[in-house]
Amino acid sequence: MRRALAAAGFVVLVLPSLASAHATLEATVPNEQSRIDAPPTEIVLRFDQSVTAPPDAVVVLATDGRRVSGSVTQTDGGTVIRTRVAGLRVGEAYTVRWRELSADGHIGTGVYTFGVAVEAPPPTEAVGASGMTWRDDVARWALFVSLALLLGVVGIRLLVLPRVVDPRVERRVHLLGTAGAVLALNAGIAGFVIRSANALQVSGVDLLYADLSPFAESTRFGIAFLVTTLGFGACLTILVVSWALDRPALRWPAFLLAIALVWGYPLSGHQATEPNASLLGQVADWVHLVTAMLWVGGVVTLAVVVWPLAPDLRRAAFLRFSRIAIVLVGVLVVAGTVVAIERLPAVADLWETAYGQTLLVKLGLVVVALAWGGIHHTIVRPRIERGEASGRIGRSLLGESTVAMAVLLVAAVLVNGAPPPVEGEAGSTVRSSVP
Amino acid sequence: MPRAETAHWLFAAGFLFLGLVLLAEAIVGPSVFRLRPWRACLWPSLALFAGLWLWVITIFSTFSTLHLLAHALWAQAATAAGAIQLAVVRERLTSPYWSLVTSGALFVSGVSFLVHEQNGWLFARSAFLHHLIGWMLVVSAVFPLGAAFRPRRAVWAFGFAATWLALAVMLFADRDIAPIFGHLSDLAGGTP
Repeated sequence: MRRALAAAGFVVLVLPSLASAHATLEATVPNEQSRIDAPPTEIVLRFDQSVTAPPDAVVVLATDGRRVSGSVTQTDGGTVIRTRVAGLRVGEAYTVRWRELSADGHIGTGVYTFGVAVEAPPPTEAVGASGMTWRDDVARWALFVSLALLLGVVGIRLLVLPRVVDPRVERRVHLLGTAGAVLALNAGIAGFVIRSANALQVSGVDLLYADLSPFAESTRFGIAFLVTTLGFGACLTILVVSWALDRPALRWPAFLLAIALVWGYPLSGHQATEPNASLLGQVADWVHLVTAMLWVGGVVTLAVVVWPLAPDLRRAAFLRFSRIAIVLVGVLVVAGTVVAIERLPAVADLWETAYGQTLLVKLGLVVVALAWGGIHHTIVRPRIERGEASGRIGRSLLGESTVAMAVLLVAAVLVNGAPPPVEGEAGSTVRSSVP
Repeated sequence: MPRAETAHWLFAAGFLFLGLVLLAEAIVGPSVFRLRPWRACLWPSLALFAGLWLWVITIFSTFSTLHLLAHALWAQAATAAGAIQLAVVRERLTSPYWSLVTSGALFVSGVSFLVHEQNGWLFARSAFLHHLIGWMLVVSAVFPLGAAFRPRRAVWAFGFAATWLALAVMLFADRDIAPIFGHLSDLAGGTP
């Protein structure tokens, strides 16, 4: 039996499978996301390996959906696919959707745009790209939860809890903070892939072999993804080193880096891309996010770290967080109001547009969370000051945490939604987009 | 954008150093090797550093979803193994069973290597090496696994060190386009 297993293992290891290949797009003419002066007469795609081109290997579409490309031909030993194009106009942008069958049987796909005497739109706005789906919302929610853990739990440990705490508290803070960094990385990757898939219009195995580089290199969200992935990778490393070496102070650089990285989301969202976008709006959005994550993370820390693990710390932690929470909530509300005013040109947009209605739902949940916090502040706080902390308060904190998570979910839907159109520079109404 | 083989050689240099460190420890034994405490931190530190660098490689791997996911997985596996081992050598964790994390990281990394290589063994040298590395990592997961249950046996330490030395040699031999045993698929630019 052993010999048979060994022989089987040997065969699996030694027998080469048939030579097959998966191709990668190396170059295109015109270049991806380029602006060219005159309409091209053909589109050229060069791959690193020989490929098979199906009849619709390259489809070029005008912004109105009109197809301007013909049949495809292959040259250079099958590494180049060409298609003639006709009827292209100056001042118009075009979408190129390509598919190739690699020798390994996998279908490689990609999409890019170019503009003739105009800037090429980002690939997320390619013709045929779908908008945000519930998957984008879930990925964004996971990202917000991860930020609440990474920023909030670690931040509250550094800002509120005493320098020396019960080792079990320290361990759980380490666990939650590290889980936050890991979740931030994976939610960011998932969000990026899902968003790219929306534009590529592929799923399953085809998505595994899809070319995501135009999205990473030519879109704001792609560049934000690259920077935040690297940054959260550094945060994760710092946090695990802090844990392994038992140096809690090392969490400071991870905390400050995470705060800086949150800036990537306003820079790649509506706050930076709308026609009426302003620096004030971006700063307000960043402050709104950071304070929200600190607040939510603080409540979570009290509920799942301090209350169950450190009864002797409850009073001091609750009172200190209570003082900080007032400032956090105040800044949160002001910053959120600035963002809302910028995103909603008219008050009626609040109930007449989907974006406004989502905002109303979010505001409703925020009111519930704030009221809950208010009860804690006005009723529970005096009792705790008298030394009457009980398990019921822990359950109440868990309830507030749950509402806070619901707020983050609606916030995720809101961030992915399109705000109402606003007046452009020339006085025209401009539809929202987040490239 | 750096060439893939350049990144592979950088990692090969790191793995060569790591393999030599582990081999030195296996030869002289941990009690001698760790007379200077910082030496015990060498391999976990290198693993953590590799994890950080793999995030850099990850963001350059968007040419396919599969490559992006594979590199992200390696980065997390290296970070997990490095962090746990650092905690072990700093005596924050004492059970030998923590070695199972390293074993799991090697296994997952190996499987990921095999899944992310879309070409067959003899397609080109890089494909051959990716298959070989994948299988080697999967098999070498047995060394930290053995160390978890029989920590005193030296064979696990020697095997683990040899894994990294072999990995370094394979990565140094890697080229973006090169034949393997005189064979290069015509699809990769070889002669039909």
